[in-house]
Amino acid sequence: MTRLLETRALTKRFGGANVINGIDFQIDTGEIRCVIGPNGAGKSTFFKLITGEHTPSDGSIHFLGRDMNRVLPHERIRMGMSIKFQIPGVFADLTVRQHLQLGLYRAKDVSSTSLDELLHRFMLEQEASVLACNLSHGKKQWLEIAMAVSLGPKLLFLDEPVAGMSVEETHATGELIKRLRDAGLTIMVVEHDMTFVKQIASRVSVLHGGRLFADGPLDEILGRDDVAEIYLGRKK
Amino acid sequence: MTALSLLYSLVYQFGDNFAYLVLAALGLAVIFGMMGVINLAHGEFIMCGAYVTIISARHGLPLPLAMLLGALAAAIAGIIIERLVIRHLYDRLFDSVVATWAISLIVQQTMLLVAGPSLEGIGTPFGSFSLGDYSFSTYRAVLPAIALGILLALYWLFFRTNYGVCARATIQNARMAQCLGLRTDRLYTLTFALGAGLAGLTGALYAPTMTVVPTMGSNFIVQAFVAVVVGGANVIAGTTPAAGILAIIQTGLTASYGQLFGQIGLLVTVIIVIRLMPQGLGNLFSRSR
Amino acid sequence: MKQLELVSRGARRKRATSLSLKFLPWLVALGLPLIVDSNASGNFAYCLVWAFGAIGLAAMWGYGGILSFGQTAFFGLSGYAYGIIALNFGDSWITSWGSLLAALVVSVAAATLIGYMIFYGRIKGVFIGIVTLSITLVLETFMSQTAGPQWAIGAAKLNGYNGMGGMPQLTIPWHGGPLTLENTSFYYFVLALLALVYWVTRKLLDGPFGLTLIAIRENPQRAEMLGVDIRRHQLLIFVFGSTLGGLSGVLYTIWGSYITPSTMGLTSAALPVIWVATAGRKSIGGAIIGTALLVWLSQNLAVYGSQYALILLGSILLIVVLLAPEGLLPYVITHLRRLATRPQSNAVPEPQTALKAGRGSKS
Repeated sequence: MTRLLETRALTKRFGGANVINGIDFQIDTGEIRCVIGPNGAGKSTFFKLITGEHTPSDGSIHFLGRDMNRVLPHERIRMGMSIKFQIPGVFADLTVRQHLQLGLYRAKDVSSTSLDELLHRFMLEQEASVLACNLSHGKKQWLEIAMAVSLGPKLLFLDEPVAGMSVEETHATGELIKRLRDAGLTIMVVEHDMTFVKQIASRVSVLHGGRLFADGPLDEILGRDDVAEIYLGRKK
Repeated sequence: MTALSLLYSLVYQFGDNFAYLVLAALGLAVIFGMMGVINLAHGEFIMCGAYVTIISARHGLPLPLAMLLGALAAAIAGIIIERLVIRHLYDRLFDSVVATWAISLIVQQTMLLVAGPSLEGIGTPFGSFSLGDYSFSTYRAVLPAIALGILLALYWLFFRTNYGVCARATIQNARMAQCLGLRTDRLYTLTFALGAGLAGLTGALYAPTMTVVPTMGSNFIVQAFVAVVVGGANVIAGTTPAAGILAIIQTGLTASYGQLFGQIGLLVTVIIVIRLMPQGLGNLFSRSR
Repeated sequence: MKQLELVSRGARRKRATSLSLKFLPWLVALGLPLIVDSNASGNFAYCLVWAFGAIGLAAMWGYGGILSFGQTAFFGLSGYAYGIIALNFGDSWITSWGSLLAALVVSVAAATLIGYMIFYGRIKGVFIGIVTLSITLVLETFMSQTAGPQWAIGAAKLNGYNGMGGMPQLTIPWHGGPLTLENTSFYYFVLALLALVYWVTRKLLDGPFGLTLIAIRENPQRAEMLGVDIRRHQLLIFVFGSTLGGLSGVLYTIWGSYITPSTMGLTSAALPVIWVATAGRKSIGGAIIGTALLVWLSQNLAVYGSQYALILLGSILLIVVLLAPEGLLPYVITHLRRLATRPQSNAVPEPQTALKAGRGSKS
């Protein structure tokens, strides 16, 4: 169990407001960590700070023990981070197969077996030669995750992976993520869907008003009244 | 006396360059700032205004009326082109650059075929005056004032009329504007016509001072481009200071090294500004855009 | 069962057609000098000379999404470089080839500098076009005023508007004295070079580099999050494409022993864009054929007056932009394909449904 990612007193100001306010956060290998919190809690900004899209106003981020100050986004990816965004960002002019090839080239692993394995794992075998713009929404999400995984990362970020999915697709995605964890990936997920969180999470972190409100094992956090309160605005 | 006349000569040069830059740029700035379209046929609208002015003046129309007719002709041409070509390309702005370039090429070469390499012009009105060793054209000395007048009129149009409010709403959020019942397609046509008409007016104003040729648009368009890129998308708060600064650079370089180095100086400024301030000067001077 | 047979027969027919389509132009080009006289071969060589810059622009624009108006700048830069070096260092066969290489190096260096400023300076989209156009115009303006006698580099007078001429052509050692490459021999040289460049470009763009370029073009943020160093890729394709523009310039200068600033003017800068946009910027082979044809067409029209050629080109460009924005060749090919599959319409499914059923093959 190594410490994969750590933030210390991480702070981000926009204008006069502290959108992220002194967050101390850790993820160890083998976890599936769900980050939850009401809208406006700063989840997206937190993500963007870790991936390098935003620079912190204060505090630090350490990945694999290394300070991420001044490390550019594509360099962080090369170090082992991988992200799937909230909005499907596929390449309209490329086929499913080509999408996965992109990641495999980066990981220097161009064997066709890896490609076929990815296609199988993410249930995209039928659509291998389809242009990404012609996929259904659920398949696009899976393609995105597959792309993120094709890089062979150590830490996988998923930003609302089941947004817009049906109940069956959500469940299938959950099982997929658990299989990824079993294969050795550490995963951090931002999600609103509590059924999904219950299905996959080992630990849960709650963000509220830019701070880390609560942090602990799944059952403990979801059993807490104050967590329910910040979501629903009243006692459970 | 000679120091004074030398000083005035520099001021005159500055004013001349400033007026040229502002007038060349306005039509382009309106269309780019309001619609994001880079109209590479801008020079041809200028040419249209100039030709119509000269031809109508030679047929006996008093000069001010001939100029208005020139501007109007360009505006009508603008309406036609917007309806036929531009409106299909609002979602493909890259392609609108290419399309307007094609139109420019076609119009220029057709004019060369139809009207011949040049047109006999009309003399510059108002004659000249002299200060010390230098003599200046009265007309061109007055042009900067006319340019400022047009700028003020535009300001009034954008900030004090109904059209102005609707146009600015449409730029900022076209979809919302439509939901509020604004006829955005008509606004775009009107705005394009305004830009074309302004270009025509520029051509009309400069027609008495130069030999009118079918390729005259190319001279204006480089200056126009430079001013619009440096000024940014904001028509008034951007183009005006941009023209001022560029006129200083151009006057200085021309005085020291000659006309062509003045041109080069402008182009180099564009490159530097794009590199350092991609949004142009307008961003510095206005609150939002 | 019968449906599958028909499908695979249709697919095989398609593959045969596309293979023969690929080799046909090269065969035609090889055989051309056999049926026309040497002067005509020289003219065909002239048409081919422009294809290199077109390949470069197609690679930059069609794959990388970078619309550079600077092809003519590198054209002029390398053209003048060849002239200056060749005029100064004599005309033995070694130095003629050396001058060619040196002129290309000039383009590589300039493109690296300019590209670095553009891409590492985060200049994007239309502004890349504006900056490259400005550079082209600066070069044209500058070279235009080099008419005075003080404007000379060694033995090479720059000559301003009038242009620089008299530089030696390419020669190869031959028993009985060096052989000048001109007319037919020059044509074959250019053709061979074109084939080489085409092969290199295909290899480059069909592999991981080309795939990455397309990804950068379609969704740069996503590409960056796949670990792609966007600026490095853009710089590389820019240097590659621009140097090809320079190659066109050198070959043009060699062909006519002449180079002038007007090759870097506003109208000239439009021409590569017109050719590539018309032919279809996503196809390298299409860019070659389209450019050669359009140049040939313009040459023939120019006999009546250069205005007609330009009006025609402008009109073609306008029609292409409005009706066939991907280019004329792709438009024609798509329609031919539709016509070809129609007679079997009850057996071969429509492209959309074929894709959805996972049986389509488009990659």
